[in-house]
Amino acid sequence: MSAERIDPREPVSPAVSAPVADAAARVAGVQIDGVTKRFGDATALHEAWLKIADGEFMTLLGPSGCGKTTLLNLIAGFLEADGGEIFVGGRLMTETAPYDREIGVVFQNYALFPHMNVAKNVGYGLRMRGVAKREIETRVAEALALVKLDGFGERKPRQLSGGQQQRVALARALVIRPKVLLLDEPFSALDKNLRGAMQVELKEIQRRLGVTTIFVTHDQSEALSMSDRIAVMSQGRIRQVGTPDEIYRRPLDPFVASFVGDVNVLPGRLERRIGETATVLIAEGRLSVSADTLEGIAPGAAVDLYVRPDAVRIAEGEGLVSGTVATHVYQGSHVDVLVDVAAARGGRVTVRVPGHGASTRWPAGTRVSLDFSPADAVAFASDVA
Amino acid sequence: MSDPRKRLISAKAGERLLAIAGWTVVWLVVAFIILPAVVVGISAFNDRAILSFPPQAWSTRWFARAFSYRDFSEGFRNGLIITAFASSIALVVGAGFAFALDRYSFRGKMALEAVLTSPLVIPHFTIGLGFLILAAQIHATRTFALVIVCHVVLVLPFVMRSVYVSLRNLDSRLELAAASLGARPGRALFTVTLPLLIPGLFSGWLFAAILSFNEFTASLFVTAQATQTLPVAMYNYVREYADPTLAALSVIYIVVTALLLTIANAFLGLGKVLNVEHVR
Amino acid sequence: MNKRPFLALFVAPATLAAIASAAALAAILQYAFRAYVPGSLNPGGLTLDNFFALLRPLYAQVFIQTVWICLLTALITLVVAYPLAFALVRTRNVALKSFLLITAVTPLFLGEVVRTYSWIIVLGNTGFINSVLKGLGIIDRPIQMMFTTFGVVTALVHVTLPVMVIMLSAALSHIDRDYEKAATSLGAGPVKAFLTVMLPLSMPGVVAGVSTAFAWTFSAFATPQMIGGGKVSMISTLVYQLGFASFNFPFAAALSVTGLALTFAVLAMAKQAIKPLEKIGAH
Repeated sequence: MSAERIDPREPVSPAVSAPVADAAARVAGVQIDGVTKRFGDATALHEAWLKIADGEFMTLLGPSGCGKTTLLNLIAGFLEADGGEIFVGGRLMTETAPYDREIGVVFQNYALFPHMNVAKNVGYGLRMRGVAKREIETRVAEALALVKLDGFGERKPRQLSGGQQQRVALARALVIRPKVLLLDEPFSALDKNLRGAMQVELKEIQRRLGVTTIFVTHDQSEALSMSDRIAVMSQGRIRQVGTPDEIYRRPLDPFVASFVGDVNVLPGRLERRIGETATVLIAEGRLSVSADTLEGIAPGAAVDLYVRPDAVRIAEGEGLVSGTVATHVYQGSHVDVLVDVAAARGGRVTVRVPGHGASTRWPAGTRVSLDFSPADAVAFASDVA
Repeated sequence: MSDPRKRLISAKAGERLLAIAGWTVVWLVVAFIILPAVVVGISAFNDRAILSFPPQAWSTRWFARAFSYRDFSEGFRNGLIITAFASSIALVVGAGFAFALDRYSFRGKMALEAVLTSPLVIPHFTIGLGFLILAAQIHATRTFALVIVCHVVLVLPFVMRSVYVSLRNLDSRLELAAASLGARPGRALFTVTLPLLIPGLFSGWLFAAILSFNEFTASLFVTAQATQTLPVAMYNYVREYADPTLAALSVIYIVVTALLLTIANAFLGLGKVLNVEHVR
Repeated sequence: MNKRPFLALFVAPATLAAIASAAALAAILQYAFRAYVPGSLNPGGLTLDNFFALLRPLYAQVFIQTVWICLLTALITLVVAYPLAFALVRTRNVALKSFLLITAVTPLFLGEVVRTYSWIIVLGNTGFINSVLKGLGIIDRPIQMMFTTFGVVTALVHVTLPVMVIMLSAALSHIDRDYEKAATSLGAGPVKAFLTVMLPLSMPGVVAGVSTAFAWTFSAFATPQMIGGGKVSMISTLVYQLGFASFNFPFAAALSVTGLALTFAVLAMAKQAIKPLEKIGAH
């Protein structure tokens, strides 16, 4: 890469700095075609298929050991796949070493070189590319400005706070104008308040640069708030890919439903299925839900209805289930009312009530009826025999 | 015998007594360790040629003799030559192998590691005898090369351990970070791995040097008059003379070693190298 | 892409070193089965005589004495080293910690000759202890400590102490302090908490330390040679005598090989003993 590289897509607006526009010109989509990775007898990743568009913010979400970090390491080239192919910008990566991939990585612990100061850390990738000293200085300064760390170049990593270290790591990954940015649980080491601020900042930088970003996390709220799309993973498989809203409101399987957000489970029975609509019989009533998730399930089979706490209402009159208020969990902006419902899985249903009047309105011991819109419920074949 | 501060604050007399008893034992052990050094220090300045206590008159003449005695100065010189070669060779060999041990799996890895660390449990007289017989079998004479090879084998486990511990404490993600930023393996090694290993390499080299310089038993077997090291010269001296020259030399030895270790501790953290402190 | 860059470069020198030590051991092993030709440095034909000779009472007794001295030394060293290791790990005073560490470790780097010589001055008939006792009027005639098992073991304890302290400290420092806190919160006093929690959890370190001390004592030469003065013999001193006084290298080799087998047997036993202990300590 030469310093004088002429870019056909010159910055449109003078307000946008050089690395920003340049990054936008280089971004590339990522395509993962049936990638498998085994460690000994254990299959860490089982034929993963995923397409990530240019400039997209894709989150790999799942519990620890689900294979999300393995997939990240495969994309970065730190691991070699046992099967399948990975393309970046349409180019097959199998034979490409990590140092030739042009992929920026922000590590969980940031992996800042402890023997180099901030400027040396950020400029490392440029030195490896033989960029002229002058240009390195300029681009390092720009990258530090981008992450709001102007003037921190001389500090050593250990003299920085966790948030500052993370900014340096981000600057270091971005300064090489990567085709793709990989983020491995970058917020896990930060305390809660700082985490929120950094999330917003990262999202803004990503929007401005338009760099394709793959973000690995086990934190579902982080995934919901930051992503264009989410790939939910478990046990080495991608379970569902969709927008945060799709993942939250239309989960495709019980795992996704219970891993992303809180959920109530009501056991029932599939009465009949007509076209796209399935009628499900539960304790005190029947309702019609989407049949998408009940493919191949015969009428009469046991099914579970999944309903989010925020979709459940305490009914004035008749409801779909009834129970007794057990206790209240005050959450600031809302109150979770925990209702003992004999017909629910686990004997409990959580109702999320906005505001803070719930405890006086329905004190513990009150008999209540609960209701929800069939559109907010998803049915899955029961996994309990 | 538990945390002294906590016990002292505590009002319970029993616990305080326990702490006092515990620390008394600790200081008695410390006294046991230091006693010979102190006694040697006193007798080094004893004017009389026969070892006796307490000294009637004081003198520094044994230090003068220690410096002028030819076998000692030659032993010192020989020791430096052997130590310089043995510890440097051991550093290169041990560091390379520790790296391979930490990073790669290859055929014969376990066997190689077992053979190279075996001098930790094989008596030095056995190793010395082995190299002596080996030299006789291949009709080699007792040259510097023989002593150096023997010392390399003896100190190698210590270098390997020191470098291996440093490698283990080195976050492998730093190298992945370097690779993701475009560093080829060679450049990553020289710009990231090696600079971060310097303390471990240095302490490994230092331990190897101290151990090699002071090695006695195996050296007794593999050295000849011309390659005799300082400890061997000292041993031969005790068999011939009973004057405190050796005490004077021992004092110098103890002071220099303690100083070196204090410096090593200040710069490198001996506790971490010896694994008696929990790292991170 | 090469997944193991520089592998050959890193392993080749180590292989050479391993060949050198293996060759030295092979040389001993080979000599052990060769006949001794008096007056010649070259060995004779193949024979098992050297090993049969080991069964003679004179040599068998040296074996028993060696094992006895090694055991005694290892156990005394354990008792002496434990409090020091405990204090080293527990003190929060940085200067004290450094002092204890350097005090404990320095003897390790002094070499056997300097340390043993110091003990000659301490234990000798006109040495420190006898002079002090005489000066205080406690004794008239010096107590014989040189050339006795007591003298040899005392100096050997001093020799093996550093390595024992290091191994015990390593074990103690890796024990989570919360276990002890939990024991205290459940009503155990400091002594009970130590005996029921810390001591059992440090057992792997204790076994490792004792077996290493055993091996080190077995390996010691200068101390039994200089303080034992021919009156207290160990395998090491016998090997040296056979080699350099009577030039009977085949027999010295056989003695070394047998000693090595003994060392490995002891270490293997210790390893077996550690296994169940480590399971207790594992989380």
